Amino acid sequence: MMKKVLIIGSGIAGMTCAIECAGKGMKVSIVSPYPSERAQSVLAAGGINAVLECGTDGDSINCHIEDTLKGGCYIAGRNAVRGLCEDAPDIIRWLEKIGTVFSTDTDGTIRQRAFGGQSYNRTCYCGASTGKQIVTALIMEARRLEGLGMIERRTGIDFYSALIADGECCGAILHNRRTEELEAECADFVVVATGGMNALFRMTTGSSLCDGYAAGKLFEQGVELKNLEFIQYHPTTMITGQKRMLVSEAARGEGGRLYYDENGKRVYFMEELFGKRGNLMPRDVVSKCMEETGKDIFLDVSFLGKERIMQRIPEVYELCKKYRGIDISSQSIPVVPSVHFFMGGIAVNNEHETRIRNLYAIGECSSIYHGANRLGGNSLLAAVHGARVATASIEKRSPGNKQYDPTQELNAGRERFKELRSSKSSFPVMYIRDMLAQNMQDDLGIERNSDRLRKGIDDISYYLSIADKINYDNSERIYYAYSLEGILTAAKATLVCAMSREESRGAHLRSDHPQTKDKWTASTIISYDNGAYNTKLDVEGIYEN
Amino acid sequence: MRIRIRRQENSVSKPYWQEFSYEKKNDQTIAGMLEELNYLDDLKDISGNSAPRIHWEQSCLQGMCGGCAMVINNTPALACETFLRDIKKDTVVLEPLRKFPVVTDLIVDRSVIDTYLKKEGAFIEEYKGAAFSEYYHMYQAGKCLKCGLCLEVCPNFSCGSSFYGAAFANDCYLIAMRSGTRDTALTRAYKEHFEKGCSKSLSCMDICPMKIPTLASISKMNRVR
Repeated sequence: MMKKVLIIGSGIAGMTCAIECAGKGMKVSIVSPYPSERAQSVLAAGGINAVLECGTDGDSINCHIEDTLKGGCYIAGRNAVRGLCEDAPDIIRWLEKIGTVFSTDTDGTIRQRAFGGQSYNRTCYCGASTGKQIVTALIMEARRLEGLGMIERRTGIDFYSALIADGECCGAILHNRRTEELEAECADFVVVATGGMNALFRMTTGSSLCDGYAAGKLFEQGVELKNLEFIQYHPTTMITGQKRMLVSEAARGEGGRLYYDENGKRVYFMEELFGKRGNLMPRDVVSKCMEETGKDIFLDVSFLGKERIMQRIPEVYELCKKYRGIDISSQSIPVVPSVHFFMGGIAVNNEHETRIRNLYAIGECSSIYHGANRLGGNSLLAAVHGARVATASIEKRSPGNKQYDPTQELNAGRERFKELRSSKSSFPVMYIRDMLAQNMQDDLGIERNSDRLRKGIDDISYYLSIADKINYDNSERIYYAYSLEGILTAAKATLVCAMSREESRGAHLRSDHPQTKDKWTASTIISYDNGAYNTKLDVEGIYEN
Repeated sequence: MRIRIRRQENSVSKPYWQEFSYEKKNDQTIAGMLEELNYLDDLKDISGNSAPRIHWEQSCLQGMCGGCAMVINNTPALACETFLRDIKKDTVVLEPLRKFPVVTDLIVDRSVIDTYLKKEGAFIEEYKGAAFSEYYHMYQAGKCLKCGLCLEVCPNFSCGSSFYGAAFANDCYLIAMRSGTRDTALTRAYKEHFEKGCSKSLSCMDICPMKIPTLASISKMNRVR
């Protein structure tokens, strides 16, 4: 019997999983609000890490593993990371074969550049739009399998909830934007690939479509979350009126230097602290050092000259020119650290399965490989690798036996929709989302302490207590109204995780616990029990090992 | 300043105009302005009447996803990279793209772009690689957002016609250059659904947010035959 796989999210992780599952004879349904061109994956500028045979002399897969574990401050699972790094060369070959336009030398050798926290130049790239080029290739490949009837891509679909019976997932309830109704889709396996939790902070470097609702909702439904306190602040972003614009790490990979002004003199503080490669220290280290200066920080690439800038990082040039009117061939870029990546997310084992059988999570919404801090170039790699691992696991499994009747869940959801639609209020649900973001920015910045975290938890708990009692403007998309509780839940879980970890490690800096402590060398796991948020340390490596 | 928006509740309802007032900020984009309006406690139109929230498509807000393509003061553009400082008039008129069916307000259904590519089997299947000299142009073509702006301004394109437009031509090039099995079929489809109908106005190139040199795709496809 043909297995049916439902994939939620059509970025690089979701699309790779769809292609892999369909290639192995499974029937795939992949759903998302908009087509893959709108996925956050297209923003991934820098590159994808792999030790290629033709790569930098002296580099090795073992070195990639060690760099990844070290960057993650030794709480990622060694076996999981080994799988990631060993799979990387084959992933690059596969991506090239399906049509990814990598930057190459004249003989066709894929170019590799330096990225933060790496001992060698091992980041393969496609100019400054690696994610976009990969997405373009994945869409073409998915189209081939769609023509064979193996994949069905549907847009205009939001996740509502998972269908779970006796600890086993057997489909999902989805919101169809066209009919504005809820519908159930049964499947043997469900793979969640919904990206990071940007809505928690509103202004991040990512897409507004990745909001954390799926993680929050699944948490309420029994899935455990992991390492939520580890949120990567990318050191080089520009402030604009609509979002934080990422200045790719490639700018520093090409030699860009960070500095601040003191009495009219430039202080290259990262180089003073760490020597020649100081500007390319891991992102958590750079962000922390920037914050500690208390000064306005600038990134200078002008010395590269316009020709090299236009050749190697033209997108960075265009971005700065367009959004801030800065010509980077003659002017420095004012940069601030901003929320960029969520190392935490849905807890999955080495096969990417959650605590709920037949429910998988891949890509940024899952938490694996990156530990306390992700290295640049490892997220695209993890998105593709995770999808391949999940596929291999699903392939081994028998189809689910559950004949599940979703009527009860559907009716409950429809009742809720009726209530939301009958509101006459003009109060926008976005008001609460805005307050949430303000809280998170204030209470869960680069540096945290127990007082702020406690305040944050209290505030979010209050929002949660009133969220379903308020009448909202029903002219807003109903998704915003029904997703609010899940987003708030994910936010509270994040703050609780940050409160629980009484040490500083990677992207989690506690001013009241500045030391890294051996006893905390493990992942934080958080579970939900009737409104209670319980944390524990995964010292035995139950999930990732 | 006045913001005049062509609104439509759903795909079958009647469109209508609604105006809002907004304090102009030069560094704000149309996208940022729409965000601000939607985040207001109580959205009111210019006459003080409560107005429904404005629906528009967005994701990346930095010109990389193509979601927010719309018609701004009669010119199709991405809302996230159109700055109010560049709007010389006191009124900004926002309309959905006109060549595609409206879903709601400023959101349109652009699925026809992918439907055409699917119909013609636009995929590589057997990868044979390409000469190094092609890489720069392939990289450019690979950046297509499928935002539909090129089709919006094209004098030859309309939904349902047999002319598929520049987005189709660029993808044909991406495949014909590198596929060992689909090159002939895609070259044929290109001739039928692009070459035959293109009057070379090249408005597609001027409007493209990714600056894709479609003319180069055309010339390269001509050489493939």
